[in-house]
Amino acid sequence: MWKFILPVAAFVGLAVLFAFGLNPNRDIHAIPSPLIGKPAPLFKLTDVSDPGRIVNNAELKGQVYVLNVWGTWCVACRQEQQDLLAIAQQHVVPIIGLDYMDERARAQQWLKQLGNPYDAVAFDTDGRTAIDWGVYGAPETFLVDGSGRVIYKFISPLTQEVWSHEFLPRIETARRGGA
Amino acid sequence: MRASAGALAPSTYAALARTALALIALIALIALGALIAVHPAVADSAPAVATAVAPAASGAAPGGAPGDAVDAYGQLRNPGLETRYEHITAQLRCLVCQNESIADSNVELASDLRRQVREMLIAGRSDADIFKFMTDRYGEFVRFSPPLEAKTLLIWGAPFIMLLIGAVIILRVVRERARQPLDDTPAAGASGSP
Repeated sequence: MWKFILPVAAFVGLAVLFAFGLNPNRDIHAIPSPLIGKPAPLFKLTDVSDPGRIVNNAELKGQVYVLNVWGTWCVACRQEQQDLLAIAQQHVVPIIGLDYMDERARAQQWLKQLGNPYDAVAFDTDGRTAIDWGVYGAPETFLVDGSGRVIYKFISPLTQEVWSHEFLPRIETARRGGA
Repeated sequence: MRASAGALAPSTYAALARTALALIALIALIALGALIAVHPAVADSAPAVATAVAPAASGAAPGGAPGDAVDAYGQLRNPGLETRYEHITAQLRCLVCQNESIADSNVELASDLRRQVREMLIAGRSDADIFKFMTDRYGEFVRFSPPLEAKTLLIWGAPFIMLLIGAVIILRVVRERARQPLDDTPAAGASGSP
């Protein structure tokens, strides 16, 4: 009896393991964020276009918003920009940018050239805010609910498809939950 | 008489089994010892002594300003702190180039994280504080060796489980062989020879 069960059990076990481990849709570099469900780290940074203006995410409390981490050095961000502009056109939620490891002049040039989908762009000069948010690359996009909690993180360039499948339903739920 | 030199008596098999089991037990003990020595919870406990000294030591540095705690090469002046710094940065994964530690990586994020570790050490924070700061932000994945807790028990226990499975297999094989008739018994010889 065991001679039959053991190999079958081993086969099923391996099959399940491979089904999860070798799934081509799984990004092995995407690390689950420990921030999900936790209060969004607060930051007070200067605006990339206007150093006199302060971008303070504590002021956004009470509304759902998106934080998009980018940098002019990031090739994938350039690719993402068109989709981000289209998403911004929908005016669903405020989109806050976090310009990471960048130079102010370059960032300003980028926004002028490619268009500015952001309601405000915080300029993270020394990368401390990015560390607080557990950022390890760009682009990364966070969704924060009305109570100031991070509810979702998306790593890789945002597309309109991802926006409507992953973000919009969550924004909807967050708004109903928050109301 | 033929081949009798190569055959072993059943009692010899039993002796072999006992020797094998004793060997396995010895290996298990050595492995356990090694694991305990390597485990971060234990490895951390030694520099913990330095933790208590650190704030006083950095305070004793002339001026006491953070700039004074680091020399021109970016090394911490306090040798105790520098040792802990090297230990901690070697234990943290660079998330950009996932198989390098932040101590080894040249990526900008790694240097930002090294700065963070250095600043926290100068501020007198413990190793546990620093690891918690990192895992709160980047998850357990940022640590090369997972801490020993309920959900990581399987990872740390796997070598012992494997050893146990091996021991059971050896035991069963040896017992089975001890029961089998020897190759040169008349019955086996009679049926097997052409």
